[in-house]
Amino acid sequence: MYRYDAIDREFLADRAAQFRDQVVRRLAGDITEDQFKPLRLMNGLYLQLHAYMLRVAVPYGSLNPAQMRAFAHIARTWDKGYGHFTTRQNIQFNWVRLGDAPDILDHLASVDLHAIQTSGNCIRNVTSDPYAGATAQEVDDPRVWSEVIRQWSTLHPEFSFLPRKFKIAVTAAETDRTAARAHDIGLRVLRDADGALGFEVMVGGGQGRTPYLAPTIKPFLPASRLISYLEAILRVYNRHGRRDNIYKARIKILVASLGAEEFARQVEAEWSKIGEGRDLPDTELARIRGEFVKVPFETLSPRSAGFEAAQAADRAFARFVRNNVKAHKQPGYAIVEISLKAPGATPGDASADQMDVVADLAERYGLSDIRVTHEQNLVLPHVKLDDVPAVHRELAAAGLATSNINLISDIIACPGLDYCALANARAIPVAQSIQDRFADPDRAEEVGELKIKISGCINACGHHHVGHIGVLGVDKKGEEFYQLSLGGSGAEDASLAAILGPALPADKVAGAVDKLVETYLAIRHDGERFLDTFRRAGMTPFKEAVYADAH
Amino acid sequence: MKALTANRLIDGEVVFWQAGQWVERFADAELFEGDAGEDAVAAAKAQPTVVVEPYLIDLAQGPGGLAPVSYRERIRALGPTNEPTHGKQAEGGAAIAALQAATGAARSTGRVDLIRRK
Repeated sequence: MYRYDAIDREFLADRAAQFRDQVVRRLAGDITEDQFKPLRLMNGLYLQLHAYMLRVAVPYGSLNPAQMRAFAHIARTWDKGYGHFTTRQNIQFNWVRLGDAPDILDHLASVDLHAIQTSGNCIRNVTSDPYAGATAQEVDDPRVWSEVIRQWSTLHPEFSFLPRKFKIAVTAAETDRTAARAHDIGLRVLRDADGALGFEVMVGGGQGRTPYLAPTIKPFLPASRLISYLEAILRVYNRHGRRDNIYKARIKILVASLGAEEFARQVEAEWSKIGEGRDLPDTELARIRGEFVKVPFETLSPRSAGFEAAQAADRAFARFVRNNVKAHKQPGYAIVEISLKAPGATPGDASADQMDVVADLAERYGLSDIRVTHEQNLVLPHVKLDDVPAVHRELAAAGLATSNINLISDIIACPGLDYCALANARAIPVAQSIQDRFADPDRAEEVGELKIKISGCINACGHHHVGHIGVLGVDKKGEEFYQLSLGGSGAEDASLAAILGPALPADKVAGAVDKLVETYLAIRHDGERFLDTFRRAGMTPFKEAVYADAH
Repeated sequence: MKALTANRLIDGEVVFWQAGQWVERFADAELFEGDAGEDAVAAAKAQPTVVVEPYLIDLAQGPGGLAPVSYRERIRALGPTNEPTHGKQAEGGAAIAALQAATGAARSTGRVDLIRRK
């Protein structure tokens, strides 16, 4: 993990002090709400339905145990004992008092964290593969490049007031765990035929009111030219983005209106003006890279007798291994995913005690590394196979051993109308009703990989456009209704979901999902996921199953 | 019937206007007929260091008594439905039960002039 230096720390302390002064002036009436609002948003502080909400940046979803314990402390001291992990690998605290926010920022700064650029029309927290540095699939460690982008984009004066917010994801593996094509810029690290390192650059993806998958505008960008090329993209966007219309202000609209080819041409023209002088010196890249490679792995046998015996002896552990334990690049190690989607739980929520448990486990068994996934779960990326049974036992004792990663109950849901000032409908209770319906773990495993993503409004924070089954909460004649869509994917086979049919009332959603699943089970071919069956069979059988009663 | 609501500046708490004071319980809110709330809105807007963005909400008779027409406003008056011990609903009692019994109108904004009632 990258470590802050004295300059970084001094800056964060100054920034927290600056915000403390701004809060004092707001409370005293020296500045108005209109003047204060952009200042608090620049520190991640929103006013939601019941309280202020503080969104804290987790750079590329990577945390150390001290940082996780700081979240637990904040949850206990200044919130209601829990936090909510988000689809941008961040954490939100839902019950923050304005008067406490400066103390919280001070506490965050003490562990090298902040809430800068978690709001506003700037480059937001860069997201990356939660398996970075652990999966054998990757070409390079995407955290290195995420950190390069973090340093470049943090407080970048030219890109602090863009037409609209701007999100970048970096993936380096064949399995895309970042939803790269659903981002303003998606970067896929790859090597060319000569083995040189570079990026496939995808620009103009996004969800919201007008969803687009990002087209590739440069199939191979030499890695050394990353910063100047990003700068060229941002300049073209900054110049031509639609500042006049908030619904058309994202880069996806610009790319779609110009066409990917013309947009790419303009970027190339700008890039040629910038030149190589803006790129990162090799020495600086080497310094950043050095911070990520020093992982003290032990030399171990690829097999662990204890790990295998525990699976044979304990069905619950065997299920956990099947669903939550993933292959590691280092022999004798595993990646352990921690589901925050227990039956009846709010997707992405973790209590302060659970955060402390995860921090302890990371320290004792996980080389002090913790990740947040964009699917609102946590990951211990480096656990010895020998230790996985003990990790499982302790997770189970903390209510964190739900074995459902990528299964139907591993649902993304935004906070929805239960918390969010923008929402039209609730998302969390709908997720819970589907979790209840598929609480039988045997059935969930029989159904296999099925990604349900729920948003409480068109802004699509719950990623419904890229759900295998997407659920969008709408307001229909004054009632909460839910529009189902099928066939989306945020993975390497990215696609946008298509609407199934008329929206359904809340109490019909879980039943409709059940009918979709039954239809899939009836017609699936061997080895097909729900998404594969949908792509082969099309909408008709699913539509007929859900709306049969209506005819 | 209408009530005047806002979020308290210092902590974001949902508050309601009651004869020149801000109260936390919807059940204690002052009720306004017709345009009678406009003076209170003006008075509330003159308190920018106490509350943020005061506005009127529409109320209607539900099965348990008066409740905000809009679902959003009922959630503000109660707390999040996924955490029954969080927010104002934790207090329980008849007034909370009455709000919970009200139905309909999920509209994202609860403001009087944006609501079209059937």
